[in-house]
Amino acid sequence: MSVTIRRPRVLVVEDDPDLLVVLRVNLTAAGLDPILAGDGRTAISRIQAERPDAVVLDVMLPGIDGWSVLEDLHAMGDPVPIVVCSAKKNAEDMERARDLGASGYVVKPFDIDRLLDAVFEAVRSPSRRPGVDLELDIDLELGVDLV
Amino acid sequence: MGSNPTPPAHIPFLSHTASVARGSPSRPIETFGFGADIQGRGEEGERVPRQKDRVPETEGLRHESRVAGLREFRTPSLEAVERRRMQLWFLTTVTLVLVATGVLVLATWTSMGSVVLSAPAIRLGALAIVGIFCAYVVEKEMRLWRVTRMLTDERVLIASLTNRLHEVSLLLETGRALSGLLDLSELLDTVLRSACDLLDANGGSLMVVEGDELVTVSVRGREEALGARIRLGEGVAGHVALRREPILIEGHVDPREFPGLADRQPYVESAMSLPLVHADEVVGVLNVNAAAGRAFTEYDLRAVAVFAEQSASAIANARLFEAERRHVARLIELQHASAAEAG
Repeated sequence: MSVTIRRPRVLVVEDDPDLLVVLRVNLTAAGLDPILAGDGRTAISRIQAERPDAVVLDVMLPGIDGWSVLEDLHAMGDPVPIVVCSAKKNAEDMERARDLGASGYVVKPFDIDRLLDAVFEAVRSPSRRPGVDLELDIDLELGVDLV
Repeated sequence: MGSNPTPPAHIPFLSHTASVARGSPSRPIETFGFGADIQGRGEEGERVPRQKDRVPETEGLRHESRVAGLREFRTPSLEAVERRRMQLWFLTTVTLVLVATGVLVLATWTSMGSVVLSAPAIRLGALAIVGIFCAYVVEKEMRLWRVTRMLTDERVLIASLTNRLHEVSLLLETGRALSGLLDLSELLDTVLRSACDLLDANGGSLMVVEGDELVTVSVRGREEALGARIRLGEGVAGHVALRREPILIEGHVDPREFPGLADRQPYVESAMSLPLVHADEVVGVLNVNAAAGRAFTEYDLRAVAVFAEQSASAIANARLFEAERRHVARLIELQHASAAEAG
């Protein structure tokens, strides 16, 4: 089996254009390879088509919300690690995210370093799709906190 | 994410960013053509490059597109990339078929064919040409794949920005409409109608605070509720007014959670209830019910929260205006009475 080495691909699912740009800049600066989705439908199609190594998933999305995306991926048995971002920090939501297979939960407004830690943890998690070696020797201090 | 605005005090768990009202709940990005011209126009109609053209992502996209063979890069579109991909694979197929046919013809029907093909230099040369061509195709395909990804990202950003612009425009329009109204009953009806329009809701009600009660002053879809009164703290709306927290209702409401909740038909599967707070005072509660088959989400709740803030200010102003008008009318009456007495 051929093994390719590349930067970890991270899908950012967020409806806020400012946050999309900020996360793209920060993830790129941290040595990751971000791709974007602005709604749940696009997120699911990009996950299926581009097989990201991790997903940063906002819960509040237009149309299909983040919970539905999580449920769909869980039902499909897709092993992509997901970091859920939510403004709510109650135990019920965290438990719900865990039950649906999320590998991390970050409460908004979040510190970018905490999010990056969660993303790297997700990328390193054993549930990640096998077959591709990733460049994970990345200096986290490259992260640019623009906000 | 430090620059995010602080959420309104009465919706503590909500927005991480500036909230906006919005129109349709879901507008897929496919509705936005990326083939649109990204160049701007100057005052006299001449083309001027926009700021966007100078960002690194666009430069990267420009470079990748040029290398991938998309000449005259001006309006990047996924369709153009797809066309280029089709051309590439067509060219590949034709070339490989021609080479294979040539070799076959040479080997089968010409007397010198087998002799020519048995020469190692010729065989190696043919293999090298095919190998180089395949490498070229693979390299171009990888470039096209990267361009596709970049274009999709750009499309997501454009769609997201367009959505935001649409939402802000709707909110602005609604704000203008509300700020121009001083007649309280007309304003209340407009607030409820605008909320239903913004959320594609099929009904709802608007309640205002009178003493320690909430009075239903405007209704859409369930007219018999008009004039109904509940105490603060009773039912869903009373709970919302007392706690000053919006509530998103999914499925049947548990009466134990909301004491005093009236049993009503038909049941609403998805609804939202928001406090209308102005100057730290609850002026009312806005209730919106989703149409059958549609469920409100936190996204909808966040969107309508800003609208509720504007509405609360407009209602408070209209009430103040009415009170002043009554006061002036009373003063005029008194003036007339004293004039009559003096006369």
